[in-house]
Amino acid sequence: MEFKEKLISSYLAFEEDLDLLDSVHQTRAKALKVFEKKGFPTKKDESWKYTSLNALINADYALFPRSEASIELKDVKKYFLYDTDTYKVIFIDGVYSPFLSNTTHDGLDVCLMSAALTKPKYRNLINTYFNKIASLEESLTALNTSYSKEGAFVYIPKKTVAEKPIEIIHFASGEEHSLWLQPRNLIVVDKNSQVQIIERHQSLKEHPVVTNSVTEVYVHEEAFVDYYKLQNDLTSASLIDNTYIQQAKNSHASVHTFSLGGKLVRNNLRYYHTGQRILSTLKGVTILEGKQHVDHSTMVHHSHPNCESHQDYKGIFSERSEGVFNGQILVEKIAQKTNAFQQNNNVLLDDKATVNSKPQLEIYADDVKCSHGCTIGQMDEEALFYLRSRGIPKKEAKALMTYAFANNVLESVQLPSLKKRINGQIARKLGVNLGFEL
Amino acid sequence: MLTIENLHAEVEGRTILNGIDLNVKAGEVHAIMGPNGSGKSTLSSVIAGNEDYDVTQGKILLKGKDLSGLDPEERAHLGIFLSFQYPVEIPGVTVTNFIKTAINANRKAQGLSDLGASELLKKIREKSTLLDIDSKFLSRSLNEGFSGGEKKRNEIFQMAMLEPTLAILDETDSGLDIDALKIVANGVNKFKAKENAVVVITHYQRLLEYIVPDFVHVLFGGKIVKSGTKELAHELEAKGYDWIKELA
Amino acid sequence: MAYTEEELKKELETKEYEYGFYTDIESDTFPVGLNEDIIRKISEKKGEPEWMTEWRLEAFSSFKKMVEPDWSNVKYKKPDLQKISYYSAPKQKPKYNSLEEVDPELLKTFDKLGISIDEQKKLSGVAVDIVMDSVSVATTFRETLAKKGIIFCSISEAIQKHPELVKKYIGTVIPPRDNYYSALNSAVFTDGSFCYIPKGVRCPMELSTYFRINQAGTGQFERTLVIADKQSYVSYLEGCTAPSRDENQLHAAVVELIALDDAEIKYSTVQNWFPGDKNGKGGVFNFVTKRGLCHNRSKISWTQVETGSAVTWKYPSCVLKGDNSIGEFYSIAVTNNFQQADTGTKMVHLGNNTRSTIISKGISAGKSQNSYRGLVKVGSRAKNARNFSQCDSLLMGNNCGAHTFPYIEAKNNSAQVEHEATTSKIGEDQIFYCNQRGIDTEKAIALIVNGFSKEVLNKLPMEFAVEAQKLLEISLEGSVG
Repeated sequence: MEFKEKLISSYLAFEEDLDLLDSVHQTRAKALKVFEKKGFPTKKDESWKYTSLNALINADYALFPRSEASIELKDVKKYFLYDTDTYKVIFIDGVYSPFLSNTTHDGLDVCLMSAALTKPKYRNLINTYFNKIASLEESLTALNTSYSKEGAFVYIPKKTVAEKPIEIIHFASGEEHSLWLQPRNLIVVDKNSQVQIIERHQSLKEHPVVTNSVTEVYVHEEAFVDYYKLQNDLTSASLIDNTYIQQAKNSHASVHTFSLGGKLVRNNLRYYHTGQRILSTLKGVTILEGKQHVDHSTMVHHSHPNCESHQDYKGIFSERSEGVFNGQILVEKIAQKTNAFQQNNNVLLDDKATVNSKPQLEIYADDVKCSHGCTIGQMDEEALFYLRSRGIPKKEAKALMTYAFANNVLESVQLPSLKKRINGQIARKLGVNLGFEL
Repeated sequence: MLTIENLHAEVEGRTILNGIDLNVKAGEVHAIMGPNGSGKSTLSSVIAGNEDYDVTQGKILLKGKDLSGLDPEERAHLGIFLSFQYPVEIPGVTVTNFIKTAINANRKAQGLSDLGASELLKKIREKSTLLDIDSKFLSRSLNEGFSGGEKKRNEIFQMAMLEPTLAILDETDSGLDIDALKIVANGVNKFKAKENAVVVITHYQRLLEYIVPDFVHVLFGGKIVKSGTKELAHELEAKGYDWIKELA
Repeated sequence: MAYTEEELKKELETKEYEYGFYTDIESDTFPVGLNEDIIRKISEKKGEPEWMTEWRLEAFSSFKKMVEPDWSNVKYKKPDLQKISYYSAPKQKPKYNSLEEVDPELLKTFDKLGISIDEQKKLSGVAVDIVMDSVSVATTFRETLAKKGIIFCSISEAIQKHPELVKKYIGTVIPPRDNYYSALNSAVFTDGSFCYIPKGVRCPMELSTYFRINQAGTGQFERTLVIADKQSYVSYLEGCTAPSRDENQLHAAVVELIALDDAEIKYSTVQNWFPGDKNGKGGVFNFVTKRGLCHNRSKISWTQVETGSAVTWKYPSCVLKGDNSIGEFYSIAVTNNFQQADTGTKMVHLGNNTRSTIISKGISAGKSQNSYRGLVKVGSRAKNARNFSQCDSLLMGNNCGAHTFPYIEAKNNSAQVEHEATTSKIGEDQIFYCNQRGIDTEKAIALIVNGFSKEVLNKLPMEFAVEAQKLLEISLEGSVG
């Protein structure tokens, strides 16, 4: 049986087990129809021109883990932001792990999607926010919607600053030979509130895992959401991340994506605006080797005047790795005084590495400042010479410069301990011995 | 030459000029001073006909001709020149090409034919030497990538080329070092003649050391609160603007 | 560059498409429709050798398997290819010895276009191969060229007289099955230009072709083939004007350029087909395939000023196959009213040390949509490839769109690719500044637009640059009020 068929037929059995709101059942049923009709995207779809899912979907995966895997804290502690106190919502093979988690209902909700989808007290929130900005047309998102059951649910009420960052981590234990996961997160940040979120997907054994994740983030007036995605998975694991963000007036939403690992990673990041004076930030660092493939597909839809967006993606590719940047800025006629910027800079370190970049501007308003830039190149020879003339050997000088190239995206990381962690990871990956603490 | 009577002007419903009276005769140099936000730049924009400002009362006359209802270019054709505080950039249009277009547009308005290439060239040479302008500078795009000093020198160069009857210099000294200031002032002094007039708008007295005014006016709250001779400028330099605020 | 503001002023007063007239010349037109018989008839009518007929039929069989593409950012009603007459030639087809022999009606048309052969002959030193509908009716300066061994004639004539060259090169850069419209063109092309510059020869004059669409309901399928042999140089100008019509007219040309080792081809286009009226009615569909192949150390440079057509779909490209070869693309695309343009280039780097430059200036006004779409591809074996792309858009008014869709694909680590794009509008402060210097608003806009387009205008041969400037301003007439 083809994997697509399996997904469709498993749906029925799965659906009957669930005690959900009627409206949620309907949403899921509709979504399945979309997936059934459209199937997996192919290279013929303009937005998937440079990324093929064939290698992933021509295989079989378990959709539900048979046994509940348990893992020891000591084995996974290194994946946590251990030197910072955080809320934690942890899943193992898609199943919530109370033992590893640290949730709360005290002044804010950091808990489970399954609880939000079933408990009456969340009914209003679910009716207002669930699947309202996630695409109804995009087949992978629809597939996730039809299977959405578990993930993190975060609700920050008005005038609340979440004092601790929230870590959302999905572990794949490797108990299943191969696993297909579909986590679903919902994050609602009400007026004048703030939250920091760190999301991570991590396999513990070299078994094929594909995660098709959907996250909806609602950022209300004057709110600030600071979101970090850490992608440093094993080369047996693939991730399709679909993140939809809706911002109200005067809000700021920032997403940093650090793609340092995995087999195939596709990040679909979409921003929508409902008011004026919004700031949207999208930043990314991608450092790949082997046959890794990362595809960033971004879209900022400017539909209101006086908003601003900044996109800055850096990529460093060695061996046979492939990087894709597919960024879109759409400025509606009404969105006058928009400032939208997009930058994609890449370095190819090896002969067989590939970059495909497609930065797009679609502009229907005249009084705007929009620009994009894309470069593919090597290290600045002059700077390299400068370092070497100071006695730094060529190899190290190169590594140092590559590191510097990637590292300026880190400047805007607001969490010091996270910054330090990523900094260290980047340095290690590039073979730079920093020899000092940052 | 220039007569302003009870001029009131507003921008986006906010009143900026609140009854200005001013009389500038041919051959005179007037300085208009005042603290930030007193309406100095608004006055120059209104004289030049910037449509962002609405004249709500009063009028401006040039050689007895009422300027109200005239487009900026029509005012320019009558001989008004404004040296902008912030000259705009026009990418791809060279200084030469721009000045040629401007001169011929003005000549056309006067019923004259285009200035011949050799005459134009002669004039450009003469005026650019006066302002110490390199010929390379003339082939650069208008104001694009110019330093503050280059922009201002370019404004005075255009003034020298267009030979207006009334030149208004809006904060021409800002962003100039002392050498550039002297060059600019020299350019203005060479331009000064019996049949034209200069209005210098400035925050500081510095420029007035080099372009000596016959009259000094202090603008505050959209009104001229005090007028005097060049001594007034010295007084302002020494005492600041606070005592003026009390006069208002 | 000569300044022509006064002429412009005059031009600006002309509101409607100034070349919108119809010449009444009796035409020899085929029945409408597209099938093998029609293709055989075209070939037969032109007295083509059998290999050419076969080539056309093969193209047609590819074409039948293809569907019209719809990936570009334009919307239009697809033309019904069965309603087009595929062959139309002025009935009298003499080879003129002097202008007196030419149909006076035709001469009048040329006068209106401002391209009277007489004047061209005397003043510009440009050899003109005028294509009236689909067949060449006048060729000049041929003798001068012949002395240098340069062949410049209609492609029909080339098929007859230089079959070895045509056979060797036609379809080698753009195979018939390359795309829907190139396949169609290969099957039904009626005429076009052929140019061969022998080894080591520098063509002493700009070669020029004026295209016109004249007969109602006649699609034009031009075929141009330019071959620059080793170490030769040629500058080729192509200018288009079309009479105004209500129904849409299809134009699907194919232009192939071949620059052999150390050769250089400069191909300049001013395109001013009827863009449709103010309500978006009528206008030409311009679906053109243009591509050049660069051998070692050769250079192909495309320069285009696109102001016309209702719908434009055009990507003059360079395949940089040879080492150290250079590709350039300079473009100004202006859209006004309801025009739609999806244009750009492809630079395919295959050889070592290849370089390409892309400068694209898009100006959108009225309710038009203007898209840049470009591909820069660096193959895995192309060492030290360099590309620089700059795409600037200027928006005039708030009912139009400016879009940029660059595709950048690099598979070699020694590649250096740089792409930049900006979007801007004409600032009110810029207009006020000009006004203050005595320059009126209309002239100020002309000045600013010319400044914006300057990098590209400078690449055009002088006589074309003046015409191009004129066209820019006519096309933007009344777009800012």
